[in-house]
Amino acid sequence: MNWVEFSSDAFIAAFFLYCFGFMFYVIAVAGKKWSNRDPELHVKRWARIAYIVSALGLLAHLTFFFTRWIGSGQIPTSNMYEFMTFLGMAIMIAFIIVNAIYRKPVLGMFSLPLVVLIVAYASVFPQEVQPLVPALNSIWLKVHVTTAALGEAFFAVAFAAGLMYLLRVVDFKGTGKKARRAQRWVEFTLYVIVVIIAFIATVFIFRGMGYQASFTQELVNIDSRGVETTTVQEVDYGMPPIFKPYNSEVVEMESFLGMSKPLFETPSWMEGVNAGRKLNTIVWSILIGSLLYGLLRLALRKPLGAVIHPLMDGIDPDDLDEITYRAIAIGFPVFTLGALIFAMIWANIAWSRFWGWDPKEVWALITWLFYSAYLHLRLSRGWQGAPSAWLAVIGFVIVMFTLIGVNLVISGLHSYAGVS
Amino acid sequence: MIHNTKCECGHQNHIGTVLCEACGKPLREDMQSQEPLEMRYDGVARRSQKSNPNIIDRVWNFFSSVKIAVYLIIITLLGSILGTLLPQENTFIRGNPADYYGPNHGWFGELYYQLGFSRTYESWWFITLLVMIGTSLVICSLDRVLPLYRALSKQQIRKHLSFITRQKVVYTRELDVPGEDFARDMEAQLKRRHYRVHREGDALLAEKNRFSRWGPYINHIGLIIFLLAVLARSIPGWYMDEYVTVPEGEAVAIENTNYYIKNEKFTVDYYTDEELPDHLQGQLRPKLYKTQAVLYECTANCNDLVEEPVLEEVKRHDIIVNSPLSYKGLHAYQFDFDDTPKLAAVQPSLINKETGENYGSFELRMINPELNYKVGPYELELRSQYMEFAIGEDGNPTSLSRDPNAPAFFFIIKGPGLSEKGETYLYFPRQVDKQRFSQDQINRHISDRLELSVGSMEGVTFAGATSFLNIRVDTAMPYVWVGAAISMIGLIMGFYWNHRRIWLRVDNGKLSLGAHTNKNWYGMRSDVASAFKKMGIEVDPKSLDNGGKNS
Amino acid sequence: MKSARKKIQIVVLLGVLLIGGYAIGKTLFADGNPIPVAGDRAPEFALLGADGNVHQLSDYKGKAVVVNFWGTFCPPCVKEMPEFQKQYEKWKDSNLEILAINLSETDLVVSSFLRQFDLEYPILRDQKRATERMYGLRSYPTTFFVKPDGRILEVFVGGMTEEQIDERIERLLRTTA
Repeated sequence: MNWVEFSSDAFIAAFFLYCFGFMFYVIAVAGKKWSNRDPELHVKRWARIAYIVSALGLLAHLTFFFTRWIGSGQIPTSNMYEFMTFLGMAIMIAFIIVNAIYRKPVLGMFSLPLVVLIVAYASVFPQEVQPLVPALNSIWLKVHVTTAALGEAFFAVAFAAGLMYLLRVVDFKGTGKKARRAQRWVEFTLYVIVVIIAFIATVFIFRGMGYQASFTQELVNIDSRGVETTTVQEVDYGMPPIFKPYNSEVVEMESFLGMSKPLFETPSWMEGVNAGRKLNTIVWSILIGSLLYGLLRLALRKPLGAVIHPLMDGIDPDDLDEITYRAIAIGFPVFTLGALIFAMIWANIAWSRFWGWDPKEVWALITWLFYSAYLHLRLSRGWQGAPSAWLAVIGFVIVMFTLIGVNLVISGLHSYAGVS
Repeated sequence: MIHNTKCECGHQNHIGTVLCEACGKPLREDMQSQEPLEMRYDGVARRSQKSNPNIIDRVWNFFSSVKIAVYLIIITLLGSILGTLLPQENTFIRGNPADYYGPNHGWFGELYYQLGFSRTYESWWFITLLVMIGTSLVICSLDRVLPLYRALSKQQIRKHLSFITRQKVVYTRELDVPGEDFARDMEAQLKRRHYRVHREGDALLAEKNRFSRWGPYINHIGLIIFLLAVLARSIPGWYMDEYVTVPEGEAVAIENTNYYIKNEKFTVDYYTDEELPDHLQGQLRPKLYKTQAVLYECTANCNDLVEEPVLEEVKRHDIIVNSPLSYKGLHAYQFDFDDTPKLAAVQPSLINKETGENYGSFELRMINPELNYKVGPYELELRSQYMEFAIGEDGNPTSLSRDPNAPAFFFIIKGPGLSEKGETYLYFPRQVDKQRFSQDQINRHISDRLELSVGSMEGVTFAGATSFLNIRVDTAMPYVWVGAAISMIGLIMGFYWNHRRIWLRVDNGKLSLGAHTNKNWYGMRSDVASAFKKMGIEVDPKSLDNGGKNS
Repeated sequence: MKSARKKIQIVVLLGVLLIGGYAIGKTLFADGNPIPVAGDRAPEFALLGADGNVHQLSDYKGKAVVVNFWGTFCPPCVKEMPEFQKQYEKWKDSNLEILAINLSETDLVVSSFLRQFDLEYPILRDQKRATERMYGLRSYPTTFFVKPDGRILEVFVGGMTEEQIDERIERLLRTTA
């Protein structure tokens, strides 16, 4: 049988199971006031259902992972798609571990959508199995990438718990300056999440529509010896071009909503491969995301944070604070081992230097330093509670930047292919 | 002013002690409230808390502070970000960095270069930050670990009542059984939960996982070793990172050493089109490339310019990308290769154009060819050679480079039918050059009678591929790994176990229990609650929480 | 007890100062640019000359030396060679030496090329591009004007006219006074 095809089916099954798990967790937490049964029993029952469904999802996800491994002959962690799906799987595993310790269904209500989001984001990237470049061919690849992802998964759970803490603790009815500022930042965080959802949705919608636009772009590069070379390359867009690439001509472009020509040109100072396409995608995401956010605000008539806040009633914020801390405390050694030590071992073998200040390596170090600062700050009294929750949120942003931003924006030995 | 540091229990404490080292009674005036106690380092005086600091103390206190350490970490973090904005200088193998930043990134690039950010990680301020972090690691740890060790190694069992009731996890209850019996039962329960219990009548101290407290310090020691090892690489002879270009069949000297490395044979396998996904079809993606390499040590004539060095083989290995040749700390890694075909030698034949007679052939090397050849009745003397032939601006033949990209050989041929002094013949081994420069035209005085040409591809030898190897020496590496391993052990020790202690005393039938852990209060409370449960006392873990902040 | 602590403090801080100072000092005095520039010592070399003898740079200590890197494939190098010869004749009685280092070309190429010229100053043969790497050459020709004490007075990248060579040799010889 075709293992890779089967793995795709397993993947889809996992995705849907996660979605259902999320919905059941919402029912468990939000619905405890609806039913006329004993709320505690309600929570317990639905939490159990949600947990089983999520665990089945993880099983399906593991099936995807191993069948893809068998089918392609190499561990499925070597391109953006594969790695991101693995990260989603790892977050699921981290959630199950943390949940086993603390047994809080509301953690599931936040962790599962995180998994779904990451898995959906992964699907944006090209899915084909790609043969390995010799530099990547080592057992330390398997060990480094998987361990690092597991560490990051715990940071993701800490992010979810931190966000939950803020939603629980921030006073959405307050009018003082401090309360206002806290409300705004929480709202901003939720807005960013909406934009990310919009990005994924936009990519898939335009892909479903089969939208295509292509350009030829002329690039001048001056290398380190002062030699100028001019290259002409073709750039393909999967979304209508609001920003066309710098110094390019349209080859073909389907019109969209009456827009038959690119509106603007990417500024020349935006360098890097496919700067135009990336800018265009970001602009589209922000547009659709803002639109989506606006609609939500209109429908709900309150800031999103204020809507979720009541759902968090009855949860002890101290517990959330503890979960955040514990998740980071569990994840930090794993992250150190995977993202730094195994990475150094692998780099030493593959590139004959254990540390080269490559942007990806530096950002892994930055992540490590950040969480190290977090752990040290926890020793000091004033940093527990809300500041700690914010740090957990920011930390995960840094993790995501290390995974996504560095790959796509900054180039180096480490880059994978980007898309859209 | 003399502070009274003698506790009511009779123990004399150091100045600055927060909780009596013996009985735990809070010593300072402001600690008479019911607020949970400051349990850090068990309330022991740390060196840096002394009064009247002199300059040494001030420097010491500065580096001992966690606040300063956090600042250092954050500043290092921000500084590191700066180095990722544009490619760093160390990523350029050739060329002048100064010519890259301005032209490619405009004013920002130029400013970046001028301010030194193109060499962020080698700059003085970055290294200073690392030195300060290292210092902080040393001093923070020394300042804390010794007092902590003292405090933990001699703990009193029966603690002061206010010590117990002001812990963060507290339980009090009127007992209806004798205190000693209760304590004995509790001891059994806690022993079951792997606590080490010391009981004195109706008071006990139960302790678990003390080793976990040393975790952070072991981690710090590991980091210090790591940093020192990295610094040690600058010791002369401890570190080398050189690139060598080794054409197939040749041995190349490795600078600053007595070693030569030879590329006996180089092979490369490319992915076939079947193995490539559609959009990569037709592309040349190497699957595996390897150099069959031999390492030699020079035993004589090593720096002689005239004599060939005497080489002795010391190691053989097939070098592929993840598998270097290693010998006594020297490692040769496969870095890159160049397999564009280069001409090595040709075997031209001398042919009589009129009769068609082939007088024979000879081997003509591109590099350092023989100067005299005898073919049949003819003698050929090689007068000049041009590696990449071209006609210069002044109309004279010249060469465009040092590599045999368009070789040309200038012969004087003597023999039957030719003038006494010999006739000139300009020979182009490559067909394309022959046509480009009209070899027959140039040699027209002789080309109707004699011709030098290579009959078939059999007469052509190509040079093998050139292998690029990266030679590295890194004596400090083992210590880097040792430091990293120790650091990991410290992290695991510190984060995956918690140091838990439970104090218990019964006074006149009243049980007082206090518990402390350095992290994971949730677990501490549930430990206490389940111990009680086993003794028949139902306690909600949450109710054990006595306030104060989590750590 | 107190003095023991103080001793530890002093020892630790001293160690930090030494090790830290060494680490930071390295960055400040690092050979960020290993390429010799004016003021640096000219790197020593020992090369076989076309005359069959080994020539070391230190053999010429006490003399002003012009070290010129050239190749047959480099038109400006070729163009300036007769100029160097003229200069060599002009300054024959001064304390001047000109060393022309060929950029690792093969025997025949060099010898057949030299036949066209009548050069009296030593032609040295670099092997495997070692010396040109040591001198950090980026383009050819490059000429180093070295003082009698072994330090570089000036580096000139590119072909030179006779006037340009002349004025620099004059400057160089003034340092021998």
